Amino acid sequence: MQDKQTNTDVILKVEHLSKVFSSKKAHIRAVNDVSFTVAQGETVGIVGESGCGKTTLGRCIVRAYNATEGRILYRAGDGTEYDLQNIDKKSMQKIRKEVQMIFQDPYSSLDPRMTVFDIISEPLRANFKDMPKEQIEQNVKEMAVKVGLNPSYLKRYPHAFSGGQRQRIGIARALVLYPRLIVCDEAVSALDVSVQAQVVNLLKDLQKEMNLTYLFISHDLSVVEHISDKVGVMYLGKMVEYAPSDMLFAKPFHPYSEALLSAVPIADPKVSMQRIPLTGEIPNPANAPSGCFFHTRCKYCKEICKTQEVAFVEKENSHFVACHLRDEVSLQGIPMEE
Amino acid sequence: MQPTHTNKRGEEMGMDEKPSVLSVENLEISIKLEEGLLMPVRGVNFKLYENETLGLVGESGCGKSLTCKSILSINEKRCNTTGTIAFTDKNDTTLNLLDLKFNSKEIRDIRGNRISMIFQEPMSAFSPLFTVGYQMVESVYLHITRNKKQAKDLVLSSLRKVGIADPEKRYTQYPHEFSGGMLQRALIAMALLCNPRILIADEPTTALDVTIQAQILELLKQLQKDYGMSILYITHDLGTVAQMCDRVAVMYLGRVVETATVQDIFQNPVHPYTQGLIGSVHKIGGAKERLFSIEGNVPLAMNLEDRCSFYDRCIRKDTKICCNKEPQLTQVGDEHFAACYQPEIKARGGSQSAG
Repeated sequence: MQDKQTNTDVILKVEHLSKVFSSKKAHIRAVNDVSFTVAQGETVGIVGESGCGKTTLGRCIVRAYNATEGRILYRAGDGTEYDLQNIDKKSMQKIRKEVQMIFQDPYSSLDPRMTVFDIISEPLRANFKDMPKEQIEQNVKEMAVKVGLNPSYLKRYPHAFSGGQRQRIGIARALVLYPRLIVCDEAVSALDVSVQAQVVNLLKDLQKEMNLTYLFISHDLSVVEHISDKVGVMYLGKMVEYAPSDMLFAKPFHPYSEALLSAVPIADPKVSMQRIPLTGEIPNPANAPSGCFFHTRCKYCKEICKTQEVAFVEKENSHFVACHLRDEVSLQGIPMEE
Repeated sequence: MQPTHTNKRGEEMGMDEKPSVLSVENLEISIKLEEGLLMPVRGVNFKLYENETLGLVGESGCGKSLTCKSILSINEKRCNTTGTIAFTDKNDTTLNLLDLKFNSKEIRDIRGNRISMIFQEPMSAFSPLFTVGYQMVESVYLHITRNKKQAKDLVLSSLRKVGIADPEKRYTQYPHEFSGGMLQRALIAMALLCNPRILIADEPTTALDVTIQAQILELLKQLQKDYGMSILYITHDLGTVAQMCDRVAVMYLGRVVETATVQDIFQNPVHPYTQGLIGSVHKIGGAKERLFSIEGNVPLAMNLEDRCSFYDRCIRKDTKICCNKEPQLTQVGDEHFAACYQPEIKARGGSQSAG
């Protein structure tokens, strides 16, 4: 872990990123002052309940949304660092080739009127306008084989494929430009367990082969634990904890992480769940609580939590947490077998 | 444990002392399509005992939802259903639900009353046009009482029981004013209004977050104790199965391929499909080795050859043994049945290496 932290290896650095959605009635801070770094070749998992802002965060990073505040520093393949929030059009075009996204729903993310070949080749045709046809064809075929699709299927339309195969098409489309950073937004959530295992294995193999960096957004904690090197936990737009995966799962420092981990059903009837109940519901993000956002549902809550805002600090080596009581309470994780 | 082979069908063996609430035998569902005859359910056998939770596990397209809907006969009319579904009520009268006429008074007396169901998407299970209270009280009027005051009180107490605060206010609210978890609670409250004998839960927590999921599962367990009902729990999520169920029936391509107690399913699975399913789930805290994955895809249930339906994807397939006939459920252990010609007990499905 340590050697990955050196500055040259950092591929993505998000600093105080916020995204506000405004309407006449309310301003919602979907992402609120989030900071973290991702090293080259790592998989960073982002977890949290629905509505916590994890998808918005991913979309800000690929610049599908324009963030309201903060910086997204990305180190390109040639070593120069760009602030994606503040970048000229030409450089952005270059970055688009390096940062790709895999979407959640393999049924709605593929155009039903395009053949699989058209779908996978579209990024090539858009980004390399003068690439010869034969070259495109060869690249697409190569990629199809890599993700486990039979190249003879390329002339078919998406409806002829099963969910797992469609997700492979989505992955091939993201990889055909040989990107460096991939944002996977719930990339395996819509798939059946056995197919999920196939796709997770595929993502891991491709990562090794192509030296990819993943930002893996998911609500499924067991998949995240399996695939990630580091994990960030989000609550109500804030990142409340960010740490190497095994540290976070074995010994969380934030009460929300503790409650979240305790709620994961474990596929072993011998282990009985010791759930730490969360009282109440997620507060309305348009009217967020004062002080620490989590204080309304936290069982450790003290006076300071209700009034004072909480900072995101490094409590231990590369283990960040946003909790006033980080030095006072001792929390429970999931016992590790290894 | 050495597997003992018998030729008798699993469900008929030695467990008949226990009173079963629901007994499904040779259930077959076929749908005529232009391309041919689709057989999504091909001879399903299982029994549900009193006060137990039976998990019906399988991937999408294995026929688990159709099986459950046929219990309440709410399948589409074009589904041709044969077999028996014997339902035994409290007063020991047994009824074959498939004998009842489509939408007859008899089946409507059972539906929502003796057997109720909760659905996957609470948001689409409620109509957005009516208040939650109005939709709940409907089933009380139908099955219990026409007295308005009594009916409302019954609904309110049911809402209170599933942990909904301020039920008077909730009674007059519309579904969009509820959060997903709250609405699922309301759906459960509605299913329990008539004190049913069987509750069918079709993936009740798939649409919910983990923290809410844990709450709902705990609630279901508690209510099962309070009401003394049997739960048929349908899911593809093995994590919740381990926490919820007493026994498990694993389905593949319209057939039950293995039934056992929940401990046996997870510790000594014998069918290669069950082993594969368990191996493909990562256990938090476990070793981070490569996930086991079952090769290939589920075939379409049309024009199937008369051989083991899992043959194409099986790691133990053997042309000589597996290609003759579809294997039947045979006993391999105590309360443990599998439909496989080469049942093999493996120490833990999760610890096998890459395939």
